[in-house]
Amino acid sequence: MKLTIDGKSVIAKEGQTVLECALNNDISIPHLCTHSQLSAFGACRLCLVEIDGIRGYPTSCTTPAADAMVVRTDTQALQNLRRNILALMMLEHPSACLVCSRRELCEQFRPEAERTGRTTGCHTCSNKEICEVRALSEELGFAELPVPPAYHERPVERSEPFMDRDLNLCILCGRCVRICKHHQGRAVIDFVGRGSQTHIGQAFGNSLLDAGCQFCGACVDVCPTGSLADRYAKWYGRPEAVAESTCIFCDHACALALGTKNGKVTAAQAVDENVPVCVLGRFAVPEFLNGTDRLSTPHMRVGQRLRQIPWEQALEMVAGKLRQFAGDGFALVCDTTSTLEDRHIFKKFTNEVMKSTNYIEIEPDAHGVSRGSLPAGTKAALLTGNFVDLAALKELGLSIVQDCYPTPVSQRADVVLPAAVLAEVEGTILDRSGRKRPLHKACEPPGQAKPEWWIICRLAEAMGAEGFEYESAEAISKELRISNAQLWVDRVEAPPAATDFKLRRTHFRGHRIDEKVRGLRELPVEDPCALEPAQEKHEGAFGILEKHEIAPNVHEIIIQAPEVAKKALPGQFVIAMVDEKSERVPYTLCGWDAQAGTITLVVLEKGQSSRKLILLSAGDKLVHVVGPLGVPLDIELYGTVVLAAGCYGIGGIVPIVEAMKDAGNRVVVVTEARSHYLHYYKKKLQGLCDEFVETTIDGSVGVKGHAIDAIAEKLKAGEKMDCVIAVGCPFMMMVTAQETKPFGVKTLAALNPIMLDGTGMCGACRVTVGNQTKFACVDGPFFDAHLIDWDELRDRRAAYSAQEIHSLGRTEAVVTGHSGGSGCKCLH
Amino acid sequence: MTSLQQVCTEARVQWDKLQDSEVPVLFVGAATCGRAAGATEVLEALRERIERDELNVLVIEVGCLGPCSFEPLVIVHKNGSPRICYGNVGPDEVVRILESHVFGDDPCARWALGKMTPGKLDGIDDFNTHPMMHRQVRNILRNCGLIDPENVHHYLARDGYRGFLKALELGPDKTLEEIKASRLRGRGGAGFPAWRKWQFCRDAPGPTKYLICNADEGDPGAFMNRSLIEGDPHAVLEGMLIAAFTLGASQGYIYCRAEYPLALQRLDVAIGQMRALGLLGRDIQGSGFCFDLSVKKGAGAFVCGEETALIASIEGRRGMPQPRPPFPAVSGLLGKPTVIQNVETLGNLPLILRNGAQSYSQYGSESSKGTKTFALAGKIKRTGLVEVPLGIKLKDIICEIGGGVPDGKALKAVQTGGPSGGCIPAEKMDLPVDYEALTQAGSIMGSGGMIVLDEDTCMVDVAKYFLSFTQAESCGKCAPCRVGTRAMLSILERIAAGEGQMADLEKLESVAQTIRDGSLCGLGQTAPNPVLTTLRYFRNEYEEHIRKGQCPAFVCSRMISYHIDRDRCSGCGACARVCPVEAISGQKKKPHAIDQETCIRCGMCLSTCPARYAAVFRRSGELTRVEPRKEVKRKSD
Repeated sequence: MKLTIDGKSVIAKEGQTVLECALNNDISIPHLCTHSQLSAFGACRLCLVEIDGIRGYPTSCTTPAADAMVVRTDTQALQNLRRNILALMMLEHPSACLVCSRRELCEQFRPEAERTGRTTGCHTCSNKEICEVRALSEELGFAELPVPPAYHERPVERSEPFMDRDLNLCILCGRCVRICKHHQGRAVIDFVGRGSQTHIGQAFGNSLLDAGCQFCGACVDVCPTGSLADRYAKWYGRPEAVAESTCIFCDHACALALGTKNGKVTAAQAVDENVPVCVLGRFAVPEFLNGTDRLSTPHMRVGQRLRQIPWEQALEMVAGKLRQFAGDGFALVCDTTSTLEDRHIFKKFTNEVMKSTNYIEIEPDAHGVSRGSLPAGTKAALLTGNFVDLAALKELGLSIVQDCYPTPVSQRADVVLPAAVLAEVEGTILDRSGRKRPLHKACEPPGQAKPEWWIICRLAEAMGAEGFEYESAEAISKELRISNAQLWVDRVEAPPAATDFKLRRTHFRGHRIDEKVRGLRELPVEDPCALEPAQEKHEGAFGILEKHEIAPNVHEIIIQAPEVAKKALPGQFVIAMVDEKSERVPYTLCGWDAQAGTITLVVLEKGQSSRKLILLSAGDKLVHVVGPLGVPLDIELYGTVVLAAGCYGIGGIVPIVEAMKDAGNRVVVVTEARSHYLHYYKKKLQGLCDEFVETTIDGSVGVKGHAIDAIAEKLKAGEKMDCVIAVGCPFMMMVTAQETKPFGVKTLAALNPIMLDGTGMCGACRVTVGNQTKFACVDGPFFDAHLIDWDELRDRRAAYSAQEIHSLGRTEAVVTGHSGGSGCKCLH
Repeated sequence: MTSLQQVCTEARVQWDKLQDSEVPVLFVGAATCGRAAGATEVLEALRERIERDELNVLVIEVGCLGPCSFEPLVIVHKNGSPRICYGNVGPDEVVRILESHVFGDDPCARWALGKMTPGKLDGIDDFNTHPMMHRQVRNILRNCGLIDPENVHHYLARDGYRGFLKALELGPDKTLEEIKASRLRGRGGAGFPAWRKWQFCRDAPGPTKYLICNADEGDPGAFMNRSLIEGDPHAVLEGMLIAAFTLGASQGYIYCRAEYPLALQRLDVAIGQMRALGLLGRDIQGSGFCFDLSVKKGAGAFVCGEETALIASIEGRRGMPQPRPPFPAVSGLLGKPTVIQNVETLGNLPLILRNGAQSYSQYGSESSKGTKTFALAGKIKRTGLVEVPLGIKLKDIICEIGGGVPDGKALKAVQTGGPSGGCIPAEKMDLPVDYEALTQAGSIMGSGGMIVLDEDTCMVDVAKYFLSFTQAESCGKCAPCRVGTRAMLSILERIAAGEGQMADLEKLESVAQTIRDGSLCGLGQTAPNPVLTTLRYFRNEYEEHIRKGQCPAFVCSRMISYHIDRDRCSGCGACARVCPVEAISGQKKKPHAIDQETCIRCGMCLSTCPARYAAVFRRSGELTRVEPRKEVKRKSD
């Protein structure tokens, strides 16, 4: 078929749509609901085109290409129409950042998404690096909303295993619904409700689990926005690289595409996108690999304790001890999840170096459980996993554990050697049909953990043995003549556990996988031995009296803290800890009542610690609230004081406004938010100050722009300002400082770096002001904003990003209301 | 098995007997509309009296005759007297009619609407000359209100299924020719020529074809389809047989909303009767034609009237439209060629076949042939279901048949076509009612709803009403419709709240354009119509809202304030007692006052203030509206 698209003559194949034909011929037509794995849907209305002889604007994704068709894809009318349609879509999607005039500066200052609970703008969206809506909005020149946005105020759904769902970001392209049908053969999720209430959900409000979700993650993978997100992977951002390897959680040996960032595996997907993998393949690998309690250095028993020692020393020591146990008194236990190469070395070592016949190789059962026992008379054992009972150790003269995670057995062992696993190693394994499948190294093992063949080879060498001079797994494969190992792609059928997660394995090398991968605890297994992990409950002294979400992601919390309330002064802060193990986080005092003994905090949910605080409710207690801390703000008669406030700062300025007013100043308050629905405390502040100005980045209420835009306008108009005080995020304060500088207006900013003790001892809150090192906790929080080193502040605030990301997935108890976590106690 | 012919002959004999029945017969209009007006109570009272006095009287429940404002309707047959149709018959009246007319000499002329059969009776004119009836041409509705819809013999006696037998005689090709010659256009709204759709379906490859009757009537204020099914279900079913036979469809579905329980019951009964008569199943009437029917209940989503959404709903999926192509006539239900026709379109088919295309197309205008039913509602004297030839002037329907606007108010506009249609202003009442003319005027024919608006109607409020309907009924699939209607609604709400700006009018038009051009299905593409037509014809009213902050119709509550005229107020305190927010204060027998800060503009004071004082008046911007005082004679005077 020959047709003309934009004046270009192109050939279409039978059955092709106009869109497919155009894309094949490098003619780009914007599209959103279309996805390579799915059939056309026609919902997003962005691929509209003009076709001679067809009325109106047909969607190119659904219109079959026909001979002699004349198509136009980029007329002025189409451009306008698409832009207008996208603008409508953006009314229900946090879109202020897309129209922000400081977008580039913001991207430079904070390229990584900030980890908020609710996403109300691109810079707090985990999907921002790969967002299709952002890309389209640039392509289509989206710059304006026809009416103020209509944020849905839907709660972020975080109680399902593995997946977060923020339907406030959803544009209803229906990809998730369709891919779910495609993979599962039925709709676990579907469109629910009518009109503007339409949303993605499960029938009858069931949980995903009860609706029959198999957690294949396909919906997350196809979502063009940040609406559906992999709870664990989302804050890592877009992977830097993707490596393909084989999953060894079970012997179906699915091929996985592993996304890596900073040397870590952060995400996993099926290589073969048309055939889903099971929940372990999709969600368990990164969390299992990145566990903070992974064994990462060799340890040796010294008296009652295991002590770290360097590899060389460890090997030498083990070699020396092992010599005494040559013969059948030595046993090596492994299971078949170790690679062929590793097992070859294990066996060779046992037979040739240790002269023992006790090489024991366990075949895991259907649940992945590998249980073995040591032959009678064993005096020394090398265990490559959690395979034997603790009791067996008592009989031994030497126990060596080479493993990825600590276990009760490793804690009693004489030597513990950290092993690399899964995507950290190269090698070959056999799948259930006996075909060879390759393991490719995708990331570095933690710390000094080493591949198993390496450990044994070096041990053999240390014992003076020959024939163990391998420097790579490949060298061993060559010797074993292993070739043609190929990833299992182009599969026809999904593994059984992909269609029924109850059939998944629960154990890997003797470890319960759900102990390392939190979301799995909520998924029932086939024959559970019921147990729920005990919830740690900390009872503190600082009761929460009230807690409200006063704007999306902004919470007002009133806490009983009489001693703080008695002494608080404007500009001071407290350090709060939710439980004994929490981070110590500074929060600005937004109000206090000495008589009632209460303080008010406005808390922005951003990261792990504030999340913990947000999870509490009225009646719960915090373990510590320390304060008031910091130098109170100098309250004096300046003349005209302008307070610029954003996000939590809108609450933070309240005591300052009051005090400045009392001191006789003319007080101007300028608040900023991305959109109208993010403003709060309007009436309160209006009643306190002389002039109140609201700004929004999308212009949906008040002045369009940031607070500084309203201030700069006043300055340009010749208004006198004696002091500008900025309270908000570092970006907002930095921008305010930069733009008041030319006017020579005294500008203060309230800094909020990471703090520990809050008393000037630890130095964690170090900031550089005018080339001098200051401690924000005792010298601040207020500093001359024109002298602050903002880049340093930003970098120091991000110092523990990686740790935070890992812990974020573990903050809250997942899922309420449905039965049966796997919790299997049988091994412990 | 007795042949259909035999049954027909018997039916005719029975019917004739009924017409000349020695025993008095009371036909009670007991369709949904009649029941809502109290027909059930009428029936109860009637039966109770008959039982008590052991009277020899036959009572037959019939469908709706049309004049809803006169419901409950009772037609009385008494041997030796012309048949009389009575209106607004309550339980008391029916007993009186029984006593005075049926078993007495007083024909109760005061309740009579007219004579239905020839003969002289003092004070009672022919029913056909009744102002509501005389411009009507009742072809599709010819049986409604006259036959027992659950008695197939009544239908058969009145030439029922003759059209189908004619089709069998002609064969599918010639039947299609006949339909083509009649120039019947789909009555669902868009007016697509029926024969062309059928032709597409016939031409589509594959032996399996489906026919669907769209009985999902969802427009607010429309009840044409419901009345037809309730009053004459076999007319629709015969139409389905004819269509299915012509298409070669083997299976038919009737998609009817579950909110129509009586219609569903009538369909069930009628389908059972068809089966018993050999009009469904294999080898129907020995013709080799096989066809069966089933009813699918819809959950009442407006969008399910859209063909592709309707198909999805029948298939058990969510009612969400799909882009075309493929058209349902090529790939519809279960991927097979499917024709979907509205109830009324199907109801026309027996007429065309029985009387011939010529006879059918004698009615109507050049482009729009035949008659069409309309549901008259709103600010009109005589509400009801009417049938008129297409091409009739709008004012003939509104002013003559409907009797114009009640209470001496002025006609402002007529809303046609439901949420997809528009408002036609009073000065355009000369407009001929046909598909093209209505479209040109910015509205559409739609399925036949006509809502009459008087001077007390605010056009911004009307636009808001219809938009909030489509907004809520959007399936949510595409952004132009889902979000666009929401955006337009928010602008309208702003205007109605007195917070509008002149730029909002352009915004409304621009968003409307995006919705029209960008929406996936007809629901979205037509959703802006009520706003666009009101903007086109009543722009000044929008501007008054915006510029002057006033609602000339005194409807938009945010723009109205309520006040008490000190000179008129007697201090009776009636208003203060009903005020829900205690905004009214005043001493007994002294003029009261309304605290504007507290007042929530509910209007309770206005409606409570006795008409003889009419002391409560309204202000909106520069406008003031004072209610006329009405002297009411008190008993003590």
